[in-house]
Amino acid sequence: MVSVMNCLAAIVLGCPILTLLILGFTGLVQRPLPERLVDRLTKFHVAMGLVATLGILGIMIGTNHSMEVLDLGNFVEIGQEHFHFHLEFIFDRLSVPMVLMTFVLVGVIGSFANVYLQGDAGYYRFFVCFSIFLVGLLFAFLAGTIETLFLGWELVGLSSALLIAYFHERKSPVENGLRVWGIYRVADAAFLMAALMMHHWTDQGEFLRMVNDQPWPQGASHLDPWASLWVGLLLLIAAAGKSGLIPFSGWLPRAMEGPTPSSAVFYGALSIHLGAYLLLRLAPIFADSLVIRVLMFALGALTAIYAAMTSRVQTDIKSALAFSSVCQVGIIVMEIALGFWYLALVHIIGHAFLRSLQLLRAPTLLRDYRTLENAIGGRLANGQPAWISQMANHRQIQWYRFALERGYMDSMIDQALLEPFRKLFKAFERMENDWLRWLDGPSWPRRKDP
Amino acid sequence: MEDHPGPDTYQDIEQKKLNTTTVAFSPEQVHHAIEHAIHYLPSQGPIAVFVHHNTLHAFEHLPFELAVIEGWKKYGAEPYLSEDRYRQEFFRGRIAQQDIEQVLTMDLAHCADEPIVLGTTRYELRLAMLMHPIRNGPDEELRWFIAETNALRAFRDDVSPSLESKIIRSVQQWMEQNSQAVPASATTAPTAESGAEQWKSWTLEWLHRVCITGASVVGEVLNDAIPVRRHRDIVLGSHGIDCDVRVNEQLIRFLGSATDQGFAQWGLPDRDRPLFKLFQELYGIRSVFQPNWLKELSDLIAQDRAADRSSIESIIHSLKSLGLREYGLDDFIDSTLLSLPGWTGMIWQLETNAEWTPRPFRSGSLEDYLAIRLLLDRASLRSALGQIAELESQPSVQQGSLSMERLSQDLQFHQRRNVRQTVDQRAFILFQVAQLLGWSPNELESLSTPQWQNLMDEISACGTMERRRLLHLAYERHYRIEALDAIASQPPPPPPPPPLPGPGPASTNLESQPSESQRPISFQVITCIDDREESFRRVLEEIDPSIETFGAAGFFSVPMYFRSSSDAHYIPLCPVVIKPKHFVDEIGQLSKQELQKRQAEARRVLGHASHRLHMGSRSLAAGTLTSLLGSLASLPMVARVLAPRLTSRIRELVAQVVKPNQATLLLIERIWPETKADAGPAESAAPEAKLNQGFTLEEMANMVQRLLGDLGLHRFARLVYIFGHGSSSLNNPHESAYNCGACGGGRGGPNARAFAMMANDYRVRKILETRGLVIPESTWFVGGYHNTCTDSVEFFDIDRLAPSCHMDFLRAQAVIDQARERNASERCRRFTSASLGLKPTEALRHVEARGEDLAQARPEYNHATNAVCFVGRRLRTRGLFMDRRSFLTSYDPTTDGPGSEILTRILQAVIPVCAGISLEYYFSTVDNAIYGCGSKLPHNITSLLGVMEGAASDLRTGLSQQMVEIHEPMRILFVIESTPKAVLEILARNPVLDRFVSNRWVQLATLAPDSNRIEVYQDGGFVDYQPTSISIRVFTDSYACYHHQRDHLSFARLGVQ
Repeated sequence: MVSVMNCLAAIVLGCPILTLLILGFTGLVQRPLPERLVDRLTKFHVAMGLVATLGILGIMIGTNHSMEVLDLGNFVEIGQEHFHFHLEFIFDRLSVPMVLMTFVLVGVIGSFANVYLQGDAGYYRFFVCFSIFLVGLLFAFLAGTIETLFLGWELVGLSSALLIAYFHERKSPVENGLRVWGIYRVADAAFLMAALMMHHWTDQGEFLRMVNDQPWPQGASHLDPWASLWVGLLLLIAAAGKSGLIPFSGWLPRAMEGPTPSSAVFYGALSIHLGAYLLLRLAPIFADSLVIRVLMFALGALTAIYAAMTSRVQTDIKSALAFSSVCQVGIIVMEIALGFWYLALVHIIGHAFLRSLQLLRAPTLLRDYRTLENAIGGRLANGQPAWISQMANHRQIQWYRFALERGYMDSMIDQALLEPFRKLFKAFERMENDWLRWLDGPSWPRRKDP
Repeated sequence: MEDHPGPDTYQDIEQKKLNTTTVAFSPEQVHHAIEHAIHYLPSQGPIAVFVHHNTLHAFEHLPFELAVIEGWKKYGAEPYLSEDRYRQEFFRGRIAQQDIEQVLTMDLAHCADEPIVLGTTRYELRLAMLMHPIRNGPDEELRWFIAETNALRAFRDDVSPSLESKIIRSVQQWMEQNSQAVPASATTAPTAESGAEQWKSWTLEWLHRVCITGASVVGEVLNDAIPVRRHRDIVLGSHGIDCDVRVNEQLIRFLGSATDQGFAQWGLPDRDRPLFKLFQELYGIRSVFQPNWLKELSDLIAQDRAADRSSIESIIHSLKSLGLREYGLDDFIDSTLLSLPGWTGMIWQLETNAEWTPRPFRSGSLEDYLAIRLLLDRASLRSALGQIAELESQPSVQQGSLSMERLSQDLQFHQRRNVRQTVDQRAFILFQVAQLLGWSPNELESLSTPQWQNLMDEISACGTMERRRLLHLAYERHYRIEALDAIASQPPPPPPPPPLPGPGPASTNLESQPSESQRPISFQVITCIDDREESFRRVLEEIDPSIETFGAAGFFSVPMYFRSSSDAHYIPLCPVVIKPKHFVDEIGQLSKQELQKRQAEARRVLGHASHRLHMGSRSLAAGTLTSLLGSLASLPMVARVLAPRLTSRIRELVAQVVKPNQATLLLIERIWPETKADAGPAESAAPEAKLNQGFTLEEMANMVQRLLGDLGLHRFARLVYIFGHGSSSLNNPHESAYNCGACGGGRGGPNARAFAMMANDYRVRKILETRGLVIPESTWFVGGYHNTCTDSVEFFDIDRLAPSCHMDFLRAQAVIDQARERNASERCRRFTSASLGLKPTEALRHVEARGEDLAQARPEYNHATNAVCFVGRRLRTRGLFMDRRSFLTSYDPTTDGPGSEILTRILQAVIPVCAGISLEYYFSTVDNAIYGCGSKLPHNITSLLGVMEGAASDLRTGLSQQMVEIHEPMRILFVIESTPKAVLEILARNPVLDRFVSNRWVQLATLAPDSNRIEVYQDGGFVDYQPTSISIRVFTDSYACYHHQRDHLSFARLGVQ
């Protein structure tokens, strides 16, 4: 039985990795496969993965096992430095549904993109990023150790940023891709610090050890309260960055620069839930920390209200959907904070499917509106809620402006995070110039005169 | 270039600045400048009604070649394809050497043989520059190229060995004769024993040196460059800060909200007030979180409010504080408004041309917008200057050197300056030309300064734009020759029939002996002139040679506002230039009205529910509920993506329950007198609609007579089909662009249906009979609708067909079904996702799936590849494979009067429409990023008005890359079956048509009605065309011709065994 499970688990992980290797290698040596072959390869491997996951699910239900662990041992181990990178994958009640959803969504989007991007110059690039993304997601969802989760998390971040900048011949996709990448790095930094702290306090990164080998969602951590507070805070920042909670919400609409399918699956449906998934996975560890749960709830609630308001003023379909996604992720985070973990899981999966479908058919909006108008027999009401119209006029305008500016979140990040860095680097540049001038004598050209 | 004054020095500018102190502009000046700018805005309205039009409409008063250059200066958009692209076409055989030679000969005319230098004529010089790529680049690049590549060691690859040795021989001979005067050089001169390589590199180095000498003695040459117009351009150029980025980001959000037609659930408060006031309210708010420049903005707004400035006063104030002077005002306003052309154009469209939208703009909005834009620009600029001062807080940067005053001086200077070519650049061009023409350095050294100047002038006169123009002419010529040859190779027309004994039934007596003009016709088909119907008509004729087909503008001269039984609003179904006066409703048949009421009620309830769901899924509470159940969405998603055709079939079956019943009829007849207008059946219709409901019998007879006259249709088969056309596709914001252009971007089915009903009405026929037009009793018109995307064909009102016609109908239906399959098969050869070996039945299934596929970015290719418009009898083009590239308009010159009234009205409709389509495709192809709307993949519908690229961008106008990727950009060639005299007379009477023709926005040729003689329009007259001797390809049928081919196909004759 165990060996069958291991085989299936190997297929789940192996197929996407194989796709990535084939696509990546042929791309690297400048011998890209023809589009038809890329399509077949991706479809085949996704289908295999899906079937294998279903098999695992069947065995788990049949044998009443609630958890399977695939331990690949240490990838790196440096004894005297107490460093090890442990690869371990868990198939349990949390990860299997997520993996199933991933395969279905990614499979559908893959065959959508195969038609949609046909003949486009970036077809191959898309599918390479696509398989990096898939591998990253599987690693993140199945991770049994925090370092494995980080690996998956990074791969997802990398491929997301590259896909946002898919149309790299235009300026704004590249700028927005860079911006998203920047925010991801903030989240990564917080994540990495949290991982190090965890290792420091518990000497390991295995989730299972932390919760006394109890399958999710049982078990409780034995971290001391301060440790779990610090780790929890950092992980909350990481989740906020990755899931677009405030104050990082501004990146999600900016991510809509890529081709429609990539926006749909990656930012609308999957990437956006990665932060929530992280919180869900580690929820048992923080179940006892009231401070963290209160903070988490507050963050989720504020995000949900903020995003609900902002999405109402958006006039383009993709931004409106992006903010609605943020709103739902806020609610999911609230659910996790309240301890409704299964509800949160169902919510994540349902939301991912709904949003993907909505984003995929976003370009058909005009036709949908016409159909609705014809059915109703008149112009559509825009459904402005009553509480807005009841506000005093100047309040209404103030709040409208607030929502239109997306809560000034981006400019706050610019001022609070970017500006200090810029100033610092400019100061370095000046120092370097002064230093060079001193070395070189007065002839050193400072700058090209306009 | 004429409109640029000569280069001024900085001193001149300073002097002029003293003379013209800052002026306050008058409102009239500003208004005038805005009006000037309006012409340059894109004139595409809300995307739900997409009408093809000439992208450079504003420049139509200029000749084409000038206009594209003006467009380049104004918008920075490419005027032609790139030089490299034309060269590729040359190597592919799409442009022949002969084409280039002919074009050049024609273009230079009598000055072709003027010698330039060293015995080279102007013709030779230009030909060399056309045939070979001339490289150029910035100085640094050139220096690198010369230093790091073997540019000075080997001749260019395209210099023939004989030319190469000629140059070297000449140098060797010269060295032998003048061994004392060997030019000084870094390397020692080669001797007789030196190897060929050494001679080569020595020669080239010398040549390059000579060219540098030559280049430095000549006067300055202006490069083709786009001048600097705004302060932003200067700051961008000098400090790399683009002030427009944040301004545009704000404006896109603000304009999105202001123009929103009902998408946002929370609309701009008090949206009905003037734009300027809205902006002041909204952006007057200060908040600590705001970035600096928005704080600056609210200060500026506060100033404006304190001084109580109106929008025009605010503009004047802004212009003053930006230091603008009279010189360059127009340019400044143009480019300010053109920094977000799509949105700005949409404001103007909403203000003037969109009264049918839910929320049009009030007049004066564009002025408001300019005031807003200038305020934002000022705020952004001020903040940028602050930023620069802060970052460069070094003592050496002079204080205030980047003040607004300084910038506005810079602006004044730049507005008059042009980029100059450097000596290195000129020398490098000379160096290449010398190699191509075999000039040796010793010869060149003997040139005097005036000769160098002359040579340089000649070379500059054939700059890259000129070369591209000539290559484009060659590109067009190649296709024109093919097209005209093909038409000339058709069998000559039959001699005119003897005058008919009378307009009696004799001409329609099908049972009489079949002579050439009276052979039986199995049925007749009237379609739109659309190029997509060319193949449909051709395959119909192929399947059954006794079918006759005709083409007329797809509204079939029935202009109307139409509302189907399931529609909420009337839509105009006629060309945009016509404003219909009549309203036509589709209503349920009497026996089905109860059912239809129930269905309408069900639709209404379902519609409300799905609207709630749609809105709710984006909100907080309802959104939670819907996403918890969201897993259900996986079913339709998986099904739609993996099996689009099957899913749509199932959806259709389910939708049957509420789908409007097919048992409807059109209320085309005015059934109550106008005085009793309020008694109409259409209770919900607008009062105007009630007043003008339906047509009178007289009007119907006029329309029928007109269309039949235009078509030259006077011999009727038992069944006459008339097909309107349209297209349906999913996930396609540009869907309306695929519909019938002659129906204003609508679907032409109702027009065909209305026409058939009119022509079948015995009372109408009676009126026509009194006018001498007899439609035999046995003839029945059948209206239909052809979906050009899925190739489905729908027939209307066939239940009213007389039983005696049923067999004919079924036979015809079988033929039409076969034609649909063959048509689909021909279309599929263009789609890379359809394999080349598809059988016709598979092809039909493939195109059906395309229309239902959410993922399909190319449901069909629309008018892509359009190139020709033929106006004349079908028999002149019948049997010719035209590869779906030709509009086919039926016109019978033998029945037209001496004043060519019929031709006049046909051309009045056909030339503007086809030229509009052809030119929109032209411009969207040559510069897809600026004239077109870029790739479709990241498009994002905004405000229900148009598409943006990605998260936020300008509103994109024009056609997408996926629509034009297979298009060959050419001006459309009209071939008119008429005499040059008649055509010239029509042009003389119609200045609008004349502008298209004489300014060369279209190409024009005539085909004599009685012979195969072709004459081509040229500079106000016609010249005889001599067909080339290349014989046309011959095939048994279309399938044999296009089978296993993806690319464009040249003309072919079909039906020959």
